[in-house]
Amino acid sequence: MNTGLEGKVVLITGATRNHGRASALAFAQEGANLLLCTRQSMDLLEETAQLASKSGVRVVTGQCDVTDEGQVDSFVKMGQAEFGRVDVLVNNAAWRARGELLSISSEDWAAAMAVNLHAPFLLCKAVVRGMAEHRWGRIINYSGIAPFRGASGQGTLKMACEGLTRAIANEYGKYNITANCIGPGSIAVARTPGQEGGPAEGSTVLDIPIPRQGTVEECTALVVFLASEMASYITGQTYLVNGGAHFL
Amino acid sequence: MNTGLDRKIVLVTEAVRNFGRITALGFAKEGANLLLASADTGEQLAQSAHQASELGAKVVTAQCDPSDQVQVDALVQKCLSEFGRIDVLLNNPFLPLEARSLEDISFDQWREKMEFEVTGSVQVCQAVLPQMVRQEWGRIISYGGLAGFQGSDPMTSASELGIVGLTRGIAREYGKYNITANCICPGGVESPGQSHPYSVPPGDEDPLPRWGTPDELAFLAVCLASEDAAYLTGQCLLPNGGKYFL
Repeated sequence: MNTGLEGKVVLITGATRNHGRASALAFAQEGANLLLCTRQSMDLLEETAQLASKSGVRVVTGQCDVTDEGQVDSFVKMGQAEFGRVDVLVNNAAWRARGELLSISSEDWAAAMAVNLHAPFLLCKAVVRGMAEHRWGRIINYSGIAPFRGASGQGTLKMACEGLTRAIANEYGKYNITANCIGPGSIAVARTPGQEGGPAEGSTVLDIPIPRQGTVEECTALVVFLASEMASYITGQTYLVNGGAHFL
Repeated sequence: MNTGLDRKIVLVTEAVRNFGRITALGFAKEGANLLLASADTGEQLAQSAHQASELGAKVVTAQCDPSDQVQVDALVQKCLSEFGRIDVLLNNPFLPLEARSLEDISFDQWREKMEFEVTGSVQVCQAVLPQMVRQEWGRIISYGGLAGFQGSDPMTSASELGIVGLTRGIAREYGKYNITANCICPGGVESPGQSHPYSVPPGDEDPLPRWGTPDELAFLAVCLASEDAAYLTGQCLLPNGGKYFL
């Protein structure tokens, strides 16, 4: 399968581990150059970069708080200066507002909204003009299972992100830019301190058609496909990778 | 049809103009008492209250910016001190901002819209839920719109689907207390005095080639709040003349 991703430039946020790292490595295997950022551990990000470099691609890293407009703009400008363009944006960075609605504090809500909704807005806005000029672009946002199974915190923010995705699909389709969402279910990942606890909201791991947690690689396969040349007529959609935990 | 809404207490946010007002009047016709709120301090809210009072409802009004936690808490306290309970929340989050292309939306505008409509909805729901849980009865009905489904302007699309997500979350988390949460997402309903660049006039390609009327929305809201709608939760109803099939 020729994904057509060789030489493309892929920006991935939160690329330190889990989905972000797995996506970086998967794109590197397809020959794509990478622009990776994190607001947390540059050590982990450099580790991702080193692993990806083994595929012979160019990797540029930067520290960037994706909830800060100034930092997002300068990171994207730096990437565009290094590579000449950004072809694919993967808005992977995430922060969970956990628990039922009445247990979510306004601080947790603000933090989750900043990372899960404001950051995709800022990143999309920063890259979309360049994509339109090149008449090619792929935007991949993360939804989840929460909007479909019901979970107030994540469900609200992830669905709002789907709304943003559909709006971008609508507005920029004429420039050969597609925007889609991936909705992972219960995936085996390492959690940041403060973000631990259980599988994805609303899902009982064993009580699903494929009775196990998924792997990040099973999600990145879809991310790579959605970014590929082959997915050029797919836009404004959400695809769920959840072992059958929810049928759309 | 007996809706069971006689003397129920209904809190309506943005109970001004068009959808908010007509829905408040729909509840008043069923004998409900109302707390009508709006972020605006103008005459619109007083007009809504006056019209509802003429239908025989006891009406209290309050100014409330839903993105301000203190004001939201005060709103719910006012409802409880006036009426002693809250049976129905008609969440009508609406901050009129001009629709724009993604590249023309400033971060400040984006945040203002998300905080007013999405965070505002979260805060209002958080404020009414403890009372509904105590009562073991509650109905939360939110207005969204067609933009979220069709993907029109980025701010409205994001906000409206966010409200859908919130509705599903509340439905799952609070159903055990006999609380239901549903959305009404209108499209092509006439709203005099408001222009929206994505609001396309009805045409021959539409299954129902005419504008919808605000009364047709109020009917749905009253249905969802009624006693007989007790098994319906987490759903979106799309009164749109068939423009979009869910």
